Amino acid sequence: MRMTPVLRSSHRRAGFDAVFHGLLLLCSLLVLAMLGGLILLMATGGWQAFTRFGLSFFTTVSWNPVKDTYGVLAPLLGTLVSTLIAMLIAVPMAFGTAFWLTYIASGRFASIVGTTIQLLAAVPSIIFGMWGFQTIVPFIARDVQPFLNHHFRHVPVLGSMLSGPPVGTGLVTAGIILAVMIAPFITAVMVDVFGAVPPMLRESAYGLGATRWEMMRKIVVPWSRNGMIGAIVLGMGRALGETMAVTFIIGNVTTVGWSLFAPRSTVASLIALQFPESPEGSLRLSSLMALGFILMLLSCVSLALARCLRGKRQ
Amino acid sequence: MPSASMLSASLSGREPVQDVALSVRDLNFHYGTHHALHGISLDFPARCVTAMIGPSGCGKSTLLRVFNKIYALYPGQRATGEVMFDGRNILDDSINLDMLRSRIGMVFQKPTPFPMSIYDNIAFGVRLHEKLNRTEMDERVQDVLTRVALWNEVRDRLNAPATGLSGGQQQRLCIARSIATRPEVLLLDEPTSALDPISTARIEELLDELKEEFTIAIVTHNMQQAARCADRVAFFYLGRLVEVDTADRIFTNPREKQTQDYITGRFG
Repeated sequence: MRMTPVLRSSHRRAGFDAVFHGLLLLCSLLVLAMLGGLILLMATGGWQAFTRFGLSFFTTVSWNPVKDTYGVLAPLLGTLVSTLIAMLIAVPMAFGTAFWLTYIASGRFASIVGTTIQLLAAVPSIIFGMWGFQTIVPFIARDVQPFLNHHFRHVPVLGSMLSGPPVGTGLVTAGIILAVMIAPFITAVMVDVFGAVPPMLRESAYGLGATRWEMMRKIVVPWSRNGMIGAIVLGMGRALGETMAVTFIIGNVTTVGWSLFAPRSTVASLIALQFPESPEGSLRLSSLMALGFILMLLSCVSLALARCLRGKRQ
Repeated sequence: MPSASMLSASLSGREPVQDVALSVRDLNFHYGTHHALHGISLDFPARCVTAMIGPSGCGKSTLLRVFNKIYALYPGQRATGEVMFDGRNILDDSINLDMLRSRIGMVFQKPTPFPMSIYDNIAFGVRLHEKLNRTEMDERVQDVLTRVALWNEVRDRLNAPATGLSGGQQQRLCIARSIATRPEVLLLDEPTSALDPISTARIEELLDELKEEFTIAIVTHNMQQAARCADRVAFFYLGRLVEVDTADRIFTNPREKQTQDYITGRFG
């Protein structure tokens, strides 16, 4: 029996559709395989270090290639504290800028600032690293730390946070650079988030006699809460993993202490510096892989945390 | 001392003199370079429903947005002329916007519940202008919800998010929210355009009760609605006020041919 042309062509189309469907499935499976593979690689690579040091891997400060003992406490604290400082600076700045751009500014100036922020968000991080090394490090060393130290030396806790020789590298410097790096990024996302608040909702609040401040606090913030959390976590992810810019200005010393102005190291900077010179199969390489595993975990946890925070609302 | 307009009205022996809540004189409005309203002069009698009708883009919503100066949020939008409210020209820069907006409430095309509880939606505006204790606030919330016929439907879930209400309930909540600050004037911008016929009917009934206390200015695309609810109807076309009269006369015997054409559906 001969098929009619119509049937044959629809048969061919169905075949094409099946192939297309398969290709799409392959793409999405590739994504899963990629993530799974990375986790597996880091976990197996770090296995030697994890089994060798056990829990003490997380409580040991010393990272000593000479004695071949490794602990992640110093770089881990470095990453967490520098990111925290960066968030403390960047989030209020980004929020303010985004709010101003969306609801208060107008005309040419606003559009210039808006475009500039998007351009800043696209600047490669290495540029910020060079700027930090050339400008911020000397500034901290010459002006900021001596000034603060002079005035607040005797305040308990705060005094020890400011202590140390004025070298300019350290957690505060890294925090500032990270903040400058991620603030434009968070701002750009927040502008989109704020822009999604329906104009009628805003006008309703103004229509009841609300001021800008009241409108922001009672309407915009609750309405865009999820989006803001998303923006902040995306920025945090970048700060946690940022490597080169931080390597330039953190000082790269694996120590732990109260001072925010002493040279430290972060997970990413330590890996960047030591990975190329660690021999295949060494405990040092394994420890670095374990650090990589921990860094991945940190990013995943922050993302999951954001999901939870968002889930609670709706 | 009787004003000139009162004299002329009584001399000509037309309708009885009424309080005027809003009096518009020679109002012009610009969106940037676009001239949206041309020399509008129109009175809004107190405790009456005045409907504004006309094809899309005729300026009726623009006029509404002048009355609570919501347009002032947007640079490039400006109004000139005179809008007298309580003895003052609200177009003056010296007018306190927060106070003005607490006395002239507005309801929009779509329900705009705030992202908070039903109770807080009502309390939001009140808290901006008055210091009430808990009991007084509870009473105020119950009072306005009762007046918009929503109390029985929501009394058990005042702390639930307002976004969980149906569209019609949300719009009644928005009306309740607007009257909670005890305004004198209510501006309604096509308040039923997003609602089903039953919810629309409930809002229209509500207008009938509310006009005993408030001056209502309503923009509507629905001429049946204007005929049902309004005491007076103003017809706008291309940014000009063509005709204003009692609803009866506009719909049965308009003076202008353009009005006639519009209400009989010849254009629009």
